[in-house]
Amino acid sequence: MPIDRAVLRARIENAAAPVGLLWPLETFNATNPLLGLEAQPFHEAIRRARALFGGRGYPQADTFRRAWEEGEIDPDVLQKHLDDRGIAASPEALLFEMENAERDARPSAPADDPLDRAMCRWMAAFVDQGQAPWPMPHRRDGFYAAWRQLAPYDGAVPGARRPDDLPATWVDALADVLAGRPESSWEPLFEHHLTALPGWVSFIKRRMRAKRDAWQQTYPITLAHYLAVRLTVAKRMGRSLTPDAGPTDAPSDTRASQIAALWLEAWEESDRNRLLRTLRTSMRTSSNGSAAAERPAAQLVFCIDVRSEIIRRHIEQVGPYETHGYAGFFGIPMQHDAYGAASGVKTCPPIVDPKHRIADRPAEAHEDDAHRYDAWQRIQEAGRSLLNTLKSNVAAAFGFVEGSGGFFGAALAARTLAPSALGTMDEAVTRRTGDPNQFCTPTVDRQPDADTEDGLPLGLSHEAKVLYAEAAFQLMGWGDTFAPIVVFAGHGSQTPNNPYKSSLDCGACAGNPGGPNARVLAAICNDPAVQASLRERGIDIPSDTVFLAGQHNTTTDAITLFVDDDDPPVSAEALQRLRADLEEAQTRAADERSGTFAGARASTGVDETRRRAADWAETRPEWGLAGNAAFIIGPRSLTKGQSLDGRCFLHSYDWRHDADGTALETILTGPLVVGEWISTQYYFSTVDNAVHGSGSKITHNVQGKAAIVQGNGGDLMTGLPLQSLQTDDERRYHAPLRLMAVVHAPVDRVEAILDRQAAVSQLLNNEWVALTVVDPTDGDAFLRYEPGGTWRPASAPAPMADPLDAVAA
Amino acid sequence: MSKPTNEQSQTGQTPHTLHPLKKIEIIVPSEKETFVQELLDDSGVSGYTIHRDVAGRGSHGFHEGRLLFNDRAGLVMFFAVSSEDTIQAIVDGLTPLFEKSSGVMFVSDTRVVRLNKFLGEADE
Repeated sequence: MPIDRAVLRARIENAAAPVGLLWPLETFNATNPLLGLEAQPFHEAIRRARALFGGRGYPQADTFRRAWEEGEIDPDVLQKHLDDRGIAASPEALLFEMENAERDARPSAPADDPLDRAMCRWMAAFVDQGQAPWPMPHRRDGFYAAWRQLAPYDGAVPGARRPDDLPATWVDALADVLAGRPESSWEPLFEHHLTALPGWVSFIKRRMRAKRDAWQQTYPITLAHYLAVRLTVAKRMGRSLTPDAGPTDAPSDTRASQIAALWLEAWEESDRNRLLRTLRTSMRTSSNGSAAAERPAAQLVFCIDVRSEIIRRHIEQVGPYETHGYAGFFGIPMQHDAYGAASGVKTCPPIVDPKHRIADRPAEAHEDDAHRYDAWQRIQEAGRSLLNTLKSNVAAAFGFVEGSGGFFGAALAARTLAPSALGTMDEAVTRRTGDPNQFCTPTVDRQPDADTEDGLPLGLSHEAKVLYAEAAFQLMGWGDTFAPIVVFAGHGSQTPNNPYKSSLDCGACAGNPGGPNARVLAAICNDPAVQASLRERGIDIPSDTVFLAGQHNTTTDAITLFVDDDDPPVSAEALQRLRADLEEAQTRAADERSGTFAGARASTGVDETRRRAADWAETRPEWGLAGNAAFIIGPRSLTKGQSLDGRCFLHSYDWRHDADGTALETILTGPLVVGEWISTQYYFSTVDNAVHGSGSKITHNVQGKAAIVQGNGGDLMTGLPLQSLQTDDERRYHAPLRLMAVVHAPVDRVEAILDRQAAVSQLLNNEWVALTVVDPTDGDAFLRYEPGGTWRPASAPAPMADPLDAVAA
Repeated sequence: MSKPTNEQSQTGQTPHTLHPLKKIEIIVPSEKETFVQELLDDSGVSGYTIHRDVAGRGSHGFHEGRLLFNDRAGLVMFFAVSSEDTIQAIVDGLTPLFEKSSGVMFVSDTRVVRLNKFLGEADE
């Protein structure tokens, strides 16, 4: 009986389920490397992942030891966990035991498997996204067909002298390999081969699922193609196709991992208790000291990103400002076509599909600027093209290097020795050539004539505008106060020579800067027709309120406002005062952050962060989201005035403006899920950087402009680099702990949402995320969610030493 | 809606003749949408309908429909009508999937007026 291709595809889909997703570098989305195992409880998933991919799932003993010695793990909490499990050994003895177990189980260096090597070579050739001067031919026919044409030239495929020596299609190839094997044996066989190079496989898997991936549409590749090639090569190499060891079922728990799990839980509980105590203190202070709120000079809305907490705190301290937190794509599911860019980029979360296209066009008053910019771009482009030709042309390369070496050597020396000066020069050049952010406006209005075939609709209908504006104010629980200026500030990083720039940009914008989305929401909110519709829905924006867009540079903490200074929409004095205060907040925030870097070189925080932003050899331009530990959903009064050390996502929310729970439901199913992906990526990248992270940046190479490999080839690296997680070789910066969500809302409302959102309750029941509810209808009691759906009072009611306690007593 | 006379002149049959066919309804998590879509594209059905963001309760609990900021957590429902052989091919491709992944399918008898519209290349 011929093999049914539909059945084959289903078996492959099942076998690939444990493998996660890997996005290409330009949209490097954070994701849980164990995403495919998220339907299982956390500890079980870790066991299974160890069997499938190798690697650790818990922090190492020395990580626990350091946390223990530095007082991050509360001895009482640890003792309680030990007592609960009936373990009598002392903490010290347990640390020793874990250390010994690690020494015994030290993994051997990965074997240099010729089959893996052949696959990596073909994959690298096929997925190249414009780096190769001589790209692989026949790619339009798909991976299997292209490989079949070229395999005869590869010495690694024995007995293939002509394409006809190889099966004609991927189905034939798999039928050939599977002949005589029962269908029940297919999935374990496929799983074994799909998990051998999880980096490449997760890259293909993501690409297959993408709805609009130009590379996939032009050069299709599927897991079936991949397996057809891999199994054909394996068979011809005379390899056994099935795993030597038994099936890859999760091994039973070892004592060492049970101890590690216990230490992890004790550390998490200690850390969460500290945070909850801080919140308690903050709530007491704000409820005692809040006078009748005056109209602030400005309200600034930042991304929920943990980095926003620092700058928000400093802005609130420098002047009469109010800050809010909202997902950094500002609720606009869009693709952004930047001015002059060849293709658009998605700027919304990985779990959201873009529904609109927003293009930047020169504003009428600034067409001269656009012309000047275009002219400079043409000159630069011609220069780049000439340079590439000279570098890659066999005849010209040697003469070119000899003739131009001095110039490039000097540029190299300047970049290395005086990065800040070069950064200043870059800024001067931008001033001269023009910045599209300043002379362009987004096409916010719907323009059907400009739609492209198969493209997303350009601009937004009136209904869509009203929907996104209303959603923003409802989700944030905005209330009635609108300041004269409301700023929506997206964020982006500034880092040259960094293939992982996307991992430092906005996670809610698919690893892109959020400024373009901020501009769209600001334009919508300034639209009188939108304001009229919002008024009918109870959102009354005063006539003197102006919405501005801006972008927070997370590397330097500078905030740029996208304002046309020739024709400012608010008074020049108000604008000047706001800018001066933002600059002061930048100074304070940069001072705070530069203290967290080892070996700061510049004298002030701002200078230090500017140097990091300009230095092409800097492996730690900023910490990104390292340190993230909690996701707080509630009003600012929960956290205001307390330093959270940039470790908390802050999503504004007011339970009083959300009677039916829709806003909270949207936050729990959207932003919280993205937060969980970020948290698990940091967790697993920290606990096993070689398997789930991407190793040291020093030895990174970019593969085909698409992904990162270590050294000169091999499997794709899937997670974060060591330098994003560790202060130096010895000390970690990120504490590998699971995320805790804190929700300020009545507990029955939260329960009702969990009951109708299986996706969220599954994350909680499987312990990928913890949840604490602060119930305002029950005296702000702290209640912790227990897997299965019960609640227990949080065991940390004792606030920090608080003078108010004494007064109350 | 075409008038009966047009219908009659095109098919040579009365407008009320109903032809028996099979209908398949499939509900899967939205992450399987591209998988099912490719299966249907491959199977030779002449067309299909997709309902995104459907709501309902299953063995994994309740799934709410429309979510503003998550296009991945929802359920997708497909339905297609075709000959028994074509529908059987789809069933063959989904049966192994449901061994590991959540989802349901229902096959039922249905009748259509314009037979040509529902018979894909494989059946012609």
